[in-house]
Amino acid sequence: MIALARKSLVYEWPRFVPVACAIGFACLLQLLQASLVLGIFRSASVQVSGSSAQLWVGYPGTASVNLGRPIPEGVEALMRMDPAVERIEPFQWSDGNWRGSTGNVAVSISGINPQPDGQVYAHVLSPAERSKLSEPDSVIVDRADLGKLGVHVGDSASVNGHRVRVVGESRGLRSLSGINIVASLETARRLDTDPADTSGPTYLVAQLREPSEAGAVAARLCCQRAFGPYQVWTASDFARRSELYWMLDTGAGAGVLFLAVIVLVAGAAISSQALMGAVAGSVRQYAMLNALGIGLKNLRWVVLEQALWVGAAGMAGAAVLGLLLLLIARSQDVPIVFDGTVTLTCLLMALAVTGVSGLAAVRSLRHAEPALLLR
Amino acid sequence: MSTLRTPAPTLRARAVSKGYTTGRLRTSVLENLSLTIDSAALTLISGPSGCGKSTLLTILSGLQGVDQGQVHALGDELGRLDKTSLERFRLQHTGFVFQDFSLFPALNACEQVELPLHYLGMSRSRAKERAQHALDEVGLTSQRHLRPAELSGGEKQRVALARAIAKEPQLLFADEPTSALDAANGQVVIDILHGIARNHGTTVLCVSHDARLIRHADRVLYMEDGRILQDSCAPSNGAGRH
Repeated sequence: MIALARKSLVYEWPRFVPVACAIGFACLLQLLQASLVLGIFRSASVQVSGSSAQLWVGYPGTASVNLGRPIPEGVEALMRMDPAVERIEPFQWSDGNWRGSTGNVAVSISGINPQPDGQVYAHVLSPAERSKLSEPDSVIVDRADLGKLGVHVGDSASVNGHRVRVVGESRGLRSLSGINIVASLETARRLDTDPADTSGPTYLVAQLREPSEAGAVAARLCCQRAFGPYQVWTASDFARRSELYWMLDTGAGAGVLFLAVIVLVAGAAISSQALMGAVAGSVRQYAMLNALGIGLKNLRWVVLEQALWVGAAGMAGAAVLGLLLLLIARSQDVPIVFDGTVTLTCLLMALAVTGVSGLAAVRSLRHAEPALLLR
Repeated sequence: MSTLRTPAPTLRARAVSKGYTTGRLRTSVLENLSLTIDSAALTLISGPSGCGKSTLLTILSGLQGVDQGQVHALGDELGRLDKTSLERFRLQHTGFVFQDFSLFPALNACEQVELPLHYLGMSRSRAKERAQHALDEVGLTSQRHLRPAELSGGEKQRVALARAIAKEPQLLFADEPTSALDAANGQVVIDILHGIARNHGTTVLCVSHDARLIRHADRVLYMEDGRILQDSCAPSNGAGRH
């Protein structure tokens, strides 16, 4: 069989460039939007995903990690009694008012165990960086927030009226909930001026002897009322809970979905129009083939095949450009996540756009009526 | 020229009427027209623009139906065939040549001719062989690897002719095949059409008002206002009745 669809594409490629561009940009926009949104929402749970703990214990019903409330001190004893728990440590979360050269800035304070084997932010801070926090009143901030806080490493500022010194900068501390500064537990307690935060820590985090048993251990330890109000989640559940809170409860997810639909519809509209134009340019040849007895069904396949090839070219271009833009974004500390499932979903959406365009272009074949060419 | 009869008609129209509706206006194109066309002859339908000759060609070739009457082609009543059956009929039995060649810019001459053959279920090698033979027959052996942009108008029309005859159709329909060609190329195309009718026994039905073609036709039907006013045959060839 003569590969009419492919040969026409190769020979008359300028006619199909607008179609490939439309599909490619629709794909690229979806991919970047999804990666960016995923990156932003994942940053809502950076405290959880950046830690090595398998269990998180917090106030019952905590919707997101940044909304934690103190839990009773006795819960730690309960956790330590469970043979499955290997190590446990507290995590202090509080709000603060940073006063530096740029004025007052609202910040969140993460109080962590500064030991090299500390669990919270184990994937974000190196042991050397953590050890710097052992120095009283020292803090580490994300390098992308230094400008907003108006400081450099080594500078001093005040948090809730207490003097702190920036002893280091790190990457990956940025959170959707705001500027995140990291201090030792002792420093964090000193900085916390909220009179309500007088009991236990905001969270307890634990590593298990057998990480794969996290679900079962969480279920076993959960909600023993004798120890006061608390709840246990696995790290992955708590991270997802925080991300879903930002995505759904804040309305941001609906906005993202709306944008995705707009991109899809616009992509389909532009690419179908461009493809219809390209097909209309060959309508006399298609009419000739139909006159010779080649059925419209076969001709539709030629148009659909063309649409799929053009779509594939557009998607390939989008993949290369998208990868380049992702690398640039990462180098600029933009929270962006490259995820296989998301990429596949975006490609499938682009394929759907291609299919819709192809089906719309097939309608152009109704003009390929050979009798009309003879009038 | 004189009117003659032959016993083996391949196309037969009986009391055919056809009209078009534009808005509320109904225009009658063919009025109660009856006609038979015989094989192995080049039959030409001539007449002024708008007389209904192209409509008659589309009806006899099964490209569109009639409002009234019957059309038989190779023994089949075309009005009884559904769209798919009509496409199948055209695929197996008919060839077409249009004034504007209708060639795909991306395909070379050989591929243009091969393309319809694949839809007949022919193998790639058989289709290629047939295509080359058809191109040989229209004198384009050395141009078979050239694309339409590299061919002259006459050569393009000969590729279109090769595409039409490669299927070895029993019916060949041509709409103004020489109108866009100069004298020399027009003559070549006329000779090929004549040769196809004589050598292959094909029914060649041509619509044209090219005077050169009229001189070479075996039979000329002159139409005006949807009716055949004159039906004349060349003295050397027996063909047709009206």
